[in-house]
Amino acid sequence: MNRTLEVIAGSDLVERPRRSRWPARLDYLQSASGLVLALFMWAHMGFVSSILFGKNALWVVARTFEGYYFFGHRYPVIVSIAAAVVLALVIGHAALAVRKFPINYRQFRTFRGHMAMMRHGDTSLWFAQVVTGFALFFLASVHLYIIMSNPGKIGPYESSFRVWDQHLWPLYLLLLLAVEFHGGIGLYRLSVKWNWFGGSNPDEARHGLKVLKWAITVFFLAIGLATLATFIKIGITAHPIYGERYVPTWQQDALPGHGGQAAPVAGQPATTSQAGGAQ
Amino acid sequence: MNEVKHRKLKISVLRYNPQDPESVPHMQTYELEEADGMTLFIALNEIREKLDPSLQFDYVCRAGICGSCAMLVNGRPALTCRQLTKDLGDEFTLAPLPVFELIGDLSVNTGKWMRGMSERLETWVHAKEQEIDLRRIEEPMDPELAEKLYEVDRCIECGCCVAGCGTARMREDFVGAVGLNKIARFKIDPRDTRSDDDFYELVGDDDGVFGCMSLLGCHDVCPKQLPLQTQIAYVRRKMVAMAFS
Amino acid sequence: MRVIYTDVLVIGAGLAGQRVAIAAKRRGHDTIILSLVPPKRSHSAAAMGGMQASLANVIKGQGDNEDIHFGDTVRGSDWGADQDVVRMFVNTSPKAVRELAAWGVPWSRVRKGDRQVIINGEKVTITERDEAHGLLAQRDFGGTKKWRTCYVSDGTGHSMLFVVSDHVIAEGIPVHERTEALALIHDGSRCHGAVVRNLITGELVAYIAKATTIATGGAGRVYRVTTNAVICEGTGMALALETGAAALGNMEAVQFHPTPIFPAAILLTEGARGDGGLLRDVDGHRFMPDYEPEKKELASRDVVSRRIEEHIRKGKGARSRFGEHVWLDITLLGEHHIKHNLREVYEIAKYFNGVDPVKEWIPIRPGQHYTMGGIRTKPTGESPTLKGLFAAGEAACWDMHGFNRLGGNSVAETVVAGMIVGEFVADFCDRTENDLDVSTGLIREFVAREQAKIDDLLHGKGTEDATRLRSRMQDLMTDKVGIFRTGAELESAVAELEELLKKSRNLGVRSKSTGSNPELVTAYRTQKMLKVALAIAYGALTRTESRGAHFRVDHPRRDDAQWLKRTLATWKDETASLPTLEYEQLDVKKMELPPGWRGYGAKDYIDHPDTSKRQAEVDEIRTKMEGADRFAVQDALMPYEHLLPERLRGRNERIDERLPL
Repeated sequence: MNRTLEVIAGSDLVERPRRSRWPARLDYLQSASGLVLALFMWAHMGFVSSILFGKNALWVVARTFEGYYFFGHRYPVIVSIAAAVVLALVIGHAALAVRKFPINYRQFRTFRGHMAMMRHGDTSLWFAQVVTGFALFFLASVHLYIIMSNPGKIGPYESSFRVWDQHLWPLYLLLLLAVEFHGGIGLYRLSVKWNWFGGSNPDEARHGLKVLKWAITVFFLAIGLATLATFIKIGITAHPIYGERYVPTWQQDALPGHGGQAAPVAGQPATTSQAGGAQ
Repeated sequence: MNEVKHRKLKISVLRYNPQDPESVPHMQTYELEEADGMTLFIALNEIREKLDPSLQFDYVCRAGICGSCAMLVNGRPALTCRQLTKDLGDEFTLAPLPVFELIGDLSVNTGKWMRGMSERLETWVHAKEQEIDLRRIEEPMDPELAEKLYEVDRCIECGCCVAGCGTARMREDFVGAVGLNKIARFKIDPRDTRSDDDFYELVGDDDGVFGCMSLLGCHDVCPKQLPLQTQIAYVRRKMVAMAFS
Repeated sequence: MRVIYTDVLVIGAGLAGQRVAIAAKRRGHDTIILSLVPPKRSHSAAAMGGMQASLANVIKGQGDNEDIHFGDTVRGSDWGADQDVVRMFVNTSPKAVRELAAWGVPWSRVRKGDRQVIINGEKVTITERDEAHGLLAQRDFGGTKKWRTCYVSDGTGHSMLFVVSDHVIAEGIPVHERTEALALIHDGSRCHGAVVRNLITGELVAYIAKATTIATGGAGRVYRVTTNAVICEGTGMALALETGAAALGNMEAVQFHPTPIFPAAILLTEGARGDGGLLRDVDGHRFMPDYEPEKKELASRDVVSRRIEEHIRKGKGARSRFGEHVWLDITLLGEHHIKHNLREVYEIAKYFNGVDPVKEWIPIRPGQHYTMGGIRTKPTGESPTLKGLFAAGEAACWDMHGFNRLGGNSVAETVVAGMIVGEFVADFCDRTENDLDVSTGLIREFVAREQAKIDDLLHGKGTEDATRLRSRMQDLMTDKVGIFRTGAELESAVAELEELLKKSRNLGVRSKSTGSNPELVTAYRTQKMLKVALAIAYGALTRTESRGAHFRVDHPRRDDAQWLKRTLATWKDETASLPTLEYEQLDVKKMELPPGWRGYGAKDYIDHPDTSKRQAEVDEIRTKMEGADRFAVQDALMPYEHLLPERLRGRNERIDERLPL
């Protein structure tokens, strides 16, 4: 930068190690992982909420992700792998984001004081993001671990049993709230951070983004709550047949005895579901 | 002209003199009759003249252009010389800007902080030549670019953006929007020969642009309405592009 | 006792002071700047409109050059200026503006092709040349024949100050912020530095320097209604005055700006009128053409201010609960122009008066704006009577403004004087005979004296209240030493100011803190301000003529026969209640531009006996040299280039005046 410095200080000093590029990469990765996770959450919500269109819809979605429609057999390990990837992303994202958290009580108190003093929307939203992010690290990890270890058990009944009979609905309720707030705020922040939709009037754009952010959050919360309610309802009504797998209606028709062959899991003998309440 | 009934203002001021070992921070409330067109500049001077000669605060231009008088008005950073009391309630609070070294009461040492920032970020044009032939016609510059430069050159270093920044509050080495805006300003200035590489040396870490968490307190309290959000985004993109190139 | 030694001490960190410091530092001299406030908060930032430099880039500036700038400045000064200094100035101003362009000031630039401007209330299309595209633009300002004012939108001073301040940082020059010089250390003939108070801790420190430069700006705050920042209290001038050796020149020459916003008296730039803004009275009538048919709103400031006050006295002012005013109408300039080129005007009107100047007229009334007078110096910037003391900028009277300064010439003067005086300061320090040679006894004596004064204020038996004395002084100055002056009013003002000064020797303060103590600061500054106010009022009383901004109702004519001279005020006896006035004759026989009519304002004046002779000489030289190049003619009339520092000599290139490669 300064040629005279080179003369005075010699090249050792001038050619000092350049500043690490890692802070830039980490900053970028934090945003990128957040974006991927947020987009994943939108898609995930889309898939899960298929239950709102009926049990069959969810069944089809679940089988699709097990590769049933591609290979003719279910490969739940695909779900495990996907969950593992997402879990890795969550851990990575959390590790990157935690760098920005208050690192001690003094900082925590300072920020809380600052927030109270400023009464400034985006500042308060950040704190909400810290809190939800912190919560998500545990909630999402538990959820992902369960999915990873029970990959084949996604379905209208299977999921409902998990939600209701296995008492996981409080986890899912908190997870839903945390995810929707965290992701919505995160996406909004990403777009202002990188000035994605700034256009010719960034202030107006930001205002628009904020309205959109809340609209999206409300939309997904509504869908999410409806979905969770549906699972709870199924869980309650299907309580008597706890443990049974769901068989889509067309297969019920095709097979006598109301059970029939569900989609076979690759490498396992096809099981026949017993009719619920046959005893 | 009929007499207008004026409001009684209750102004609570954070008092503290760090030089005096006996002094402890406390709020002190002054009662003052409002006048037409009264600004906080007028109000505080009246308090000092009539009620409390020891009250410390800083004004220079009293016209909103020098940046001396930023304080927290009801908790928010603002230039107080152009803050009309009629736009405030009957009771309000004044406090010194946080982050900056406190001199006493409402007076803080923004100058010291800003000089440190300027030294650290080298906020001047790094020209090719030290000596210019002053007799010659100046280098031309695109008129739009000149306007664009002035748009971001309007920063008055009042410190509002720093006081309004959650990051700066938590981490004292953060350069703040004032610094990042300057980097953006010199980056688009064709007279400055510094490369992105050089700018990365200045702000390429978590005390620099990557420390910014986009809370945008800076943008929203800037009394000059500088486009800080887009300026910081610009620096961030350039610095990230640098790191991946 | 703490003593800091340096080569160059600069008191004041506005544009002039910082530019002096840069020049000295670049020449290898250790330099320290003292400043009451952070340098970027200096009042230089408030110079919105622009800086005059005869670049002749815009089509309306075509044909402009140093000669025309010289003529405008001398006429503007009402022949009070030192013409040598004006020549030095007009030749250096283009260099200064170009240097700042290279340093990073985002000057507004010329855009080639057609553009619409407002001239005399009419929309006019002008076409800028292709070859001017991207060069520095100029706008119209009062009292100029050509468009000459280079500008940065309406934040010229701000951008200049930031660039120069950052340059000071780049040069590694320390600025000791929040420090205040209380007295110069001197032995009656040589200045050795200053006793300086730290405004945070209250500590007194002696700064010892080969050369001390005062660049503390103006004294506007001795008036109640002023556009000046609250730190422009004239205390720097008082430092010189209190030595008894250095003199203040032409202190009665005080400029009143026509268009401060009413009632807060915050400056609205002359650019508002330069760009086409009009003045209107209570009836909405545009009244300036009635008084000044040629220059209208753009006559020089002293003239426009007087015309406004005259019009208000005729009952044509608009009334508000704060008093009377007239209107500045810029609505015709359009929203885009107002929000971009006159953004500060827009903001001030909006924030302080709740007026939207795009749609509404802005209330204005003239107010104190500029101190033409100041510390008398030679063209080198050095005091002729106190060796080692320099002054630059508004604090100085070297004397380029005479009795009225043109808009755009002050911010230009700051950097030009900074460049010129800075070189002379460096020259001074280069000479071995000027090495530091000061006895520690002298230093101790000065520090002890200042400490005793402060102790006396804090713990003495004084009972007078500085705030009351000060506000009475400000009222007196605004009411009786203002735009229209009369012998009787001035006499009563001087008498009462003397009383106030005597009372100020018996001040007491209630808050006893030895550190940061605003009341204490007010007290000792008020003592100094009263002396400056007296220099102004007494000078005004004594000068029984009208010249430039100094207008005596009882002596309305300019009187070159009696008064073509510069007032010099000294304060020889600390116990005196009045300054000693002496006069320095201006030499008509050496003038390049002998006194005449300014082209605006009153046509009626008393000639100096030498004027006609000199005019004949000038005419003869001009006739004889008809066809010769203008530089030769100028040199024949009044050679000046030898006065400039070597590195600042040389012609200035223009589009139509190319220099050989």
